Amino acid sequence: MRLWRKRANDIDEEIATHIAMATADRIARGESPEAARIAVLREFGNPLLVRESTRRMWAGEWIEHIAQDIRYAFRQMRRSSAFTITVVATLAMGLGATVAMFTVVERVLLQTLPYKNANRLVAISESGRRGDDHYVRWLDIQQWRLKARSFEAIGFFTPATGRPFLEGNTGAQQITHQIVSANIFHVLGVDPALGNGFTHTSEVFANTGNENSVVLSDAAWRECFGADPAILRHIVKISGVSYTVVGVMPRGFALPVPSTSLQVWTPVALKDSDKTRTGQSPTYRVIARLAHGVDLRAANAEMNVVQSDVAKQYTDSYLRDLVVAAKVQGYGDSLIKPEVRRALLSLFAASALLWFIACVNVAGLLLARGTGRQREIAVRGALGASRRRIVQQLLLEGLLLSTGGSVLGLALASALLKLFSHGLAIQLNIEHAMPGAKSLAVLLALTIGTAVASALWPALTSARASIEPALRQSSGQAGVSRSQHRARSFLVVTQIALSLVLLVSCGLLLRTIYALRHVPLGFRTDNIIVGNMAIPTFRFTGEDLNAKLYMPLLERIKTLPGVESATLMTEVPLGKTFQMVFSFSAEGPSPDSVKRRDFRAQFRAVGPDAQKVFGFTMLKGRYFNDADTASTQAVLVVNRALVKEFSQTNDPDKVMGQQLLGLGKNRPAIVVGILDDTRQVSLADQSAPEIEVFLPQLTPDSGFYKAAEGIAMDVAIRSSRSPSTLIPELRALMTHASPELASTKFSTMTQIVEDSYGSQQLVARLLIVFGGSALLLCLSGLYGLLTQLVTQRTREIGVRVALGATRSQVVWLVIRQAARMIAGGAIAGLALAWFASRLVASYLYGVTPHDALTMTSVALLLAASGIAAASLPAARAATINPVEALRAE
Amino acid sequence: MARKSDYKNRIELVQGTLDMLILQTLQWGPRHGYGIIQALHTQSGEVLQVETGSLYPALHRLERQGWVRSQWKLTESNQRARFYQITAAGKKQLASDQDRWQQVVGAIAAVMQVKPDGGEQ
Repeated sequence: MRLWRKRANDIDEEIATHIAMATADRIARGESPEAARIAVLREFGNPLLVRESTRRMWAGEWIEHIAQDIRYAFRQMRRSSAFTITVVATLAMGLGATVAMFTVVERVLLQTLPYKNANRLVAISESGRRGDDHYVRWLDIQQWRLKARSFEAIGFFTPATGRPFLEGNTGAQQITHQIVSANIFHVLGVDPALGNGFTHTSEVFANTGNENSVVLSDAAWRECFGADPAILRHIVKISGVSYTVVGVMPRGFALPVPSTSLQVWTPVALKDSDKTRTGQSPTYRVIARLAHGVDLRAANAEMNVVQSDVAKQYTDSYLRDLVVAAKVQGYGDSLIKPEVRRALLSLFAASALLWFIACVNVAGLLLARGTGRQREIAVRGALGASRRRIVQQLLLEGLLLSTGGSVLGLALASALLKLFSHGLAIQLNIEHAMPGAKSLAVLLALTIGTAVASALWPALTSARASIEPALRQSSGQAGVSRSQHRARSFLVVTQIALSLVLLVSCGLLLRTIYALRHVPLGFRTDNIIVGNMAIPTFRFTGEDLNAKLYMPLLERIKTLPGVESATLMTEVPLGKTFQMVFSFSAEGPSPDSVKRRDFRAQFRAVGPDAQKVFGFTMLKGRYFNDADTASTQAVLVVNRALVKEFSQTNDPDKVMGQQLLGLGKNRPAIVVGILDDTRQVSLADQSAPEIEVFLPQLTPDSGFYKAAEGIAMDVAIRSSRSPSTLIPELRALMTHASPELASTKFSTMTQIVEDSYGSQQLVARLLIVFGGSALLLCLSGLYGLLTQLVTQRTREIGVRVALGATRSQVVWLVIRQAARMIAGGAIAGLALAWFASRLVASYLYGVTPHDALTMTSVALLLAASGIAAASLPAARAATINPVEALRAE
Repeated sequence: MARKSDYKNRIELVQGTLDMLILQTLQWGPRHGYGIIQALHTQSGEVLQVETGSLYPALHRLERQGWVRSQWKLTESNQRARFYQITAAGKKQLASDQDRWQQVVGAIAAVMQVKPDGGEQ
């Protein structure tokens, strides 16, 4: 580059030398210096052109041109800063939305699993009458290992029951504890960063005798043991049980992904129950590595043959029906729910649409500017700029503008992700989403794409315009061809149509949210604080958690100022923290017992005063009260949905007084009350059957106590005090009760309900942002075009007014033009929306994808705001003074 | 609008011959651009007037291809000027250009000497 620049300066000197020598020659021949100089210059031609065409012989000349163009473009941008800001802001909206959505899509759909050749890893599930089941009995896995040839290795894992705590150097930390097959790290192709991991052979992959060894995740090693390099062979305690550390996994490794907490893995210890095929057999998730040269189809074909043999070995026909087939699926794919994939892709499409609208908008702006710059471009052409050079220059300006848009868009994307971080974390499990390297690469591609999409057409149009007429005009005002107007109108109509698609989707989601907000919840949500406790069960082994921890804690909470009532619940309604599902056992293949076994009910243990806190509405009977104790008759409360499902009628008396289950041996529980429907799982789902038991009636010998109390417990407090002052006091009380409870997660019932609007809420809010931006863009496009039209038609309008046109006729002239574009855009947009709304169909509740009311009102909204935008230039047109307009030129 | 090709076509030389002519004038020693124009003018019996707009791009093109080399030196009249000198590769190129030129001249001459066979009269 430096060499080349020197050369460029040389050429100037060379030309000067040439002229000097030629002049000297002529003077020597007797001409006067003045005449000689003029003759030489005439003979030489245009020195600038000679220089340009000579320089072109050297590579690098184009760099000089681009540098020149960039400097020029910068000057242009500075000179018309309002235009620049408009364009940059417009592009930033489109680019920001797209990059934000891509970041989310990348995190969820394109995540690379932290395993070796992760695309060869598969999940194997069983399927049958009740759909796919990813949890498989050990005997079946063993059969697959023996018979299937499609897999190089098969491993399995399952979360340990209970709430595990790892005791580290600084107290106990809540962790995720996975029970794994000893070969799991071999299957995943990842070796521990420290130590050798579990010993295993290819034949024996479970029960290798070292089930008291543990492999720590990098995060657990750092957080609990300060990254102690001598951790190997140390004894650590998980919930009070001792394990020997045999390995630390590399940073970034997680199983399962994504890891939201500290993970540890211990080898499975097979029990007798593992060698059975009953409803009580433990089950595991299976992950396998495809053998060389085997694809998914071949593996599926083989597994179906293998599985038909496996199914025959089930003696229980009910269970056999559930496992008749096996399904092999890419492991990465098995982690993403199809509806999530669809939703994300639709939202990504929506953001891309917004990007496209922004490009169309900017193309319109650049076209308009090209008109204003006709003379400037004509002068450049007359001075010798080639057409290619002019296109290059205008494209470069477009690129600079879109670069500006990208920078601002990146900031916007980060802001958008931050704004939605709560929703993203709840719905998609994405923490701290920020545009990464891939997003930046996409942004770069989009920047170039934007420049081409928005600037190419205006650039070609400008460069194609002939020089002469442009130069001859006295002012830049009149020279706009009809075809250019048509082009710009077309762009505006396109924007209106595309915006309408976004707005209709947005409207449908808003209707959904509205419908969801009016779903009768069956309980109160105001003034309730909920704490999801991290229960240190291991500290209370052999003791009654109720007596030792829960009741004293509850009593102390009630003494806090401002607390009206407080209760406990294994999970508050809509909590999404812990789900216990109850099902009946039954014998025999009779249709009645199959129905009984198919029956599923939400199971919940609630504490005293739950009625005071939540104000459940009863359909019949009573709620639990203080008279129900461990020594009185065991009682149950169920809900209306259970009545319907259980008795196939709507008659609550069919269930009242029934004995549905027992709280322990010889302790049958009867139904004493029926709740009006509550939405426990998701607002959009119909209310599911539910059974509630009373905590004070559960004693440690009850099976339900073991299954529920030590694992999950929410505390719910009714108080009119502000959560921000009450929560620290609550946390202090809890920490006092047991240090581990300090990490209790607090929320409010209002927030929990809000979160359970779920994906609808997130989708709706994103669509509001996208749709609102689109509306803004298409209105500004419409406004810009009409303003320009009015300016250009000033004289014509002046003539009309002079000839007797009234103000309203002039206004009508402009409005009519706007109305035509809006109508065209609306018709095209509604047609597009008719098809596009199917993409959001799965997210709708209480409204159909082709809801006429939504479509009409959105179209009307667009028309009204369009006319409003048009009324400004129309009003300006009406105030045109004919005398001034005619005298102006 | 001006086009790049305008400057290539302005001289009325057979396409590609300018390079050969420049190399030929440089055979007898280094010259500067003005000198080359002068040399071509006199050696052609004052027929060829090479335009600067063609000469300088051609000289720089030749230099980029390694057929000539350039150097700033003083002329006899103490004027600093860039002198071009033919390289070994340039000499080889000149020889092959000359061969081809001879062929073309011969071929054209042969065609021009053929008498019409009267078919069109």
